[in-house]
Amino acid sequence: MALPPITATYSSPDQPAPAADAELMLRVRDGDTAAFALLLERYRTPVVGFLFRMVQHQGVAEELGQETFLRVYRARATYEQTAKFTTWLFRIATHLALNWLRDHKGEKAQESLDEEVSEGLSRQAVDRAPTTEQVMVAESRLHQVRLAVRRLTEKQRAAVMMHKYREMEYSQIARALECSESAVKSLLFRAYETLRSHLAHLDGNRQG
Amino acid sequence: MNPARCLLQCGDEGAILLSYLDRQLDSDSMAALDRHVAQCPDCARVVESQRAVWQALDAYEPVRISADFDEQVMARIAAERPWWVRVVDSPWLGGGGSWWKVAMPLTAACLALFAVVAVWKVGDAPLRPPAAAMDSAEVQQVEDALADVEMLRQLGVTEEARQL
Repeated sequence: MALPPITATYSSPDQPAPAADAELMLRVRDGDTAAFALLLERYRTPVVGFLFRMVQHQGVAEELGQETFLRVYRARATYEQTAKFTTWLFRIATHLALNWLRDHKGEKAQESLDEEVSEGLSRQAVDRAPTTEQVMVAESRLHQVRLAVRRLTEKQRAAVMMHKYREMEYSQIARALECSESAVKSLLFRAYETLRSHLAHLDGNRQG
Repeated sequence: MNPARCLLQCGDEGAILLSYLDRQLDSDSMAALDRHVAQCPDCARVVESQRAVWQALDAYEPVRISADFDEQVMARIAAERPWWVRVVDSPWLGGGGSWWKVAMPLTAACLALFAVVAVWKVGDAPLRPPAAAMDSAEVQQVEDALADVEMLRQLGVTEEARQL
């Protein structure tokens, strides 16, 4: 049976049809590693991106991302087609991120990020050729965003990441976080309240 | 929901405000709240600051993923698979396919057949009694060896007695 073409998922996260993911997972369950490679290709960027924003460390995010896909593979026999694949995937990633944050609470694991983020911005800066001032403004802005995100509790952070960057519905976030939908709304409301108090001064004029 | 009430005074843990900001309310409720926000400076300030937050979060782009990310995941998966699965899936056996699902039972059947034939052949062979297998020359060699051992033992004893 021919599979639908694989689409880029990061820029348009809701595009892949859930049936296609489920179809691939059923093939993985039957021992088809090529199907697993397709899922890996499709979701590596959203998963590592989510984890990166959660733990704020590139190396850790990639390590946890690998562990996420490894657990998906290990649990292939228990995958239920009724559950949306991405909900299941992000529930695993969320658990790993929350465990890591709990185990490394108080550690200054984010220090190395400064260089990595600066490098990333510089790379983008070269691509778009902005002025030095624009790069500095962007770096300052990103720094403030990171600080504001760190002020959130782990669960608030996870809820915001899924809501903002994955555009997941409240019910999906609730399943991923294993809590009620009203609890998710409360988490999000408080999270955005905190973010508003720290980021609202960053007006829409991004390039300063 | 009462659209006439201020979003900030709904007392619902922010659920309506969040749904409004997400544009997830029904069209009538959205229109009513749009009208309210247009007239309420406090609510307008919340909506504007939330817009700023979402724009700020847009700047939070992840860095690029390592080029060998997929290879590392697949290597970790391969390391966890049983050795015999790795062997049958190896490229030199044309790996990756499901041919081994047919080949494995076939091989097992061949091995079972071979075992049956081997047992049948062994059962068919004449058994020689151990005594009959030794001829007179072999008996003589054994007797000579025992005599030599006895002689060496006696020599050893006399040598030890001389040293004492």
